[in-house]
Amino acid sequence: MAVVLLVIAAVAAALLASVNSMTVEPIAKINEDIQNNAIRSVLVGDSDVELSVAAPVQKGELILFKANDAAGNLVGTAVRSVDHNGFGGDLVVMVGFAPDGTILGYEVLEHAETPGLGAQAKDWFKQSAAASDKGQSKLADIMLGAASAAGNHNIVGMNPGKSNMTVSKDGGDVDAITASTITSRAFLRTVQAAYNAIK
Amino acid sequence: MSNFKTILNGIVKENPTFVLLLGMCPTLATTTSAINGMSMGIATMFVLICSNTIISLLKNLIPDGVRIPCYIVVIASFVTILQMVMQAYLPSLYSSLGLFIPLIVVNCIILGRAEAFASKNGVLASLCDGVGIGLGFTASLTVIGIVRELLGNGALFGFRILPESMNILVFVLAPGAFITLGFLMAIVNKIKDR
Repeated sequence: MAVVLLVIAAVAAALLASVNSMTVEPIAKINEDIQNNAIRSVLVGDSDVELSVAAPVQKGELILFKANDAAGNLVGTAVRSVDHNGFGGDLVVMVGFAPDGTILGYEVLEHAETPGLGAQAKDWFKQSAAASDKGQSKLADIMLGAASAAGNHNIVGMNPGKSNMTVSKDGGDVDAITASTITSRAFLRTVQAAYNAIK
Repeated sequence: MSNFKTILNGIVKENPTFVLLLGMCPTLATTTSAINGMSMGIATMFVLICSNTIISLLKNLIPDGVRIPCYIVVIASFVTILQMVMQAYLPSLYSSLGLFIPLIVVNCIILGRAEAFASKNGVLASLCDGVGIGLGFTASLTVIGIVRELLGNGALFGFRILPESMNILVFVLAPGAFITLGFLMAIVNKIKDR
């Protein structure tokens, strides 16, 4: 009885080992591509500037990637930052900083926020208030009583050294996502932590 | 029962979602959009066909006392293969289905069909049962996904149909999954009774 189970388990293990050896390389390559694309996107956006990314530096949970252009000048630093207290758990963000600390861009890499609410973080903090209010659903406005007309939630171009990287409800300079304050706080913590790491 | 009837049986008479009510966890969680629901259905169908075939082949070799562990080893191996292949070649789909791919192992449809059908029937019949139940599961998940995506996001398979102002957010969230499932089940029962 045990022999049959042992044989089945052994065959299964052998099969899995061979599939694993076939897929381990493509998986590693895809993960590296995703990371490299995120670094590019947060530092230079869509422009096709040549970037050479230095070896990553680990700082606690954060990972720093310094990037130079073709001439060897420092373009900025991309930081992979994590916060464990998002609305749905971990929130992983790549933030790009210019050498003086100005935010160049960000990408949300991993999140488990509510679709339609907290999940808007991937675009919300890149848009000026007017742009995103136009796209917001009227029904949500009525249901949630949206009141984000005046403030600003575009963090690109801000410098965490000069601006207060907390939501306006907490006295900061950034407007939270409507009805998603917890997500917004977690997101801004990742940005602040990233800035602290490069200082 | 002819093989064709076995397939049809899985899609209509023993539809895993609307009639047997099995595998509710992935049904409710992954159907936020039509494409996610369909992908989850196809992934489950793949595992179901493979495990049904292999278990039917091995049914005379496996002693009764260890049959459940043996079935689980076979099912888990196919799920792990699927997971690795998806991660390597379909990364965007893998990241949107995420945790629910490894959880196919504990999907009661698969162990249920292994125990109730594959361990008692021939290889070809078991394969057809896998195809039928798999198609039934895929069709159900796709329909739930279509309804939820259309009402919640105003889109179909990612193409926008209704303006954003008509979205009903709750359909993308968990309560919408229960509401959609309940209404679809009522419709299916109504049609079946006629």
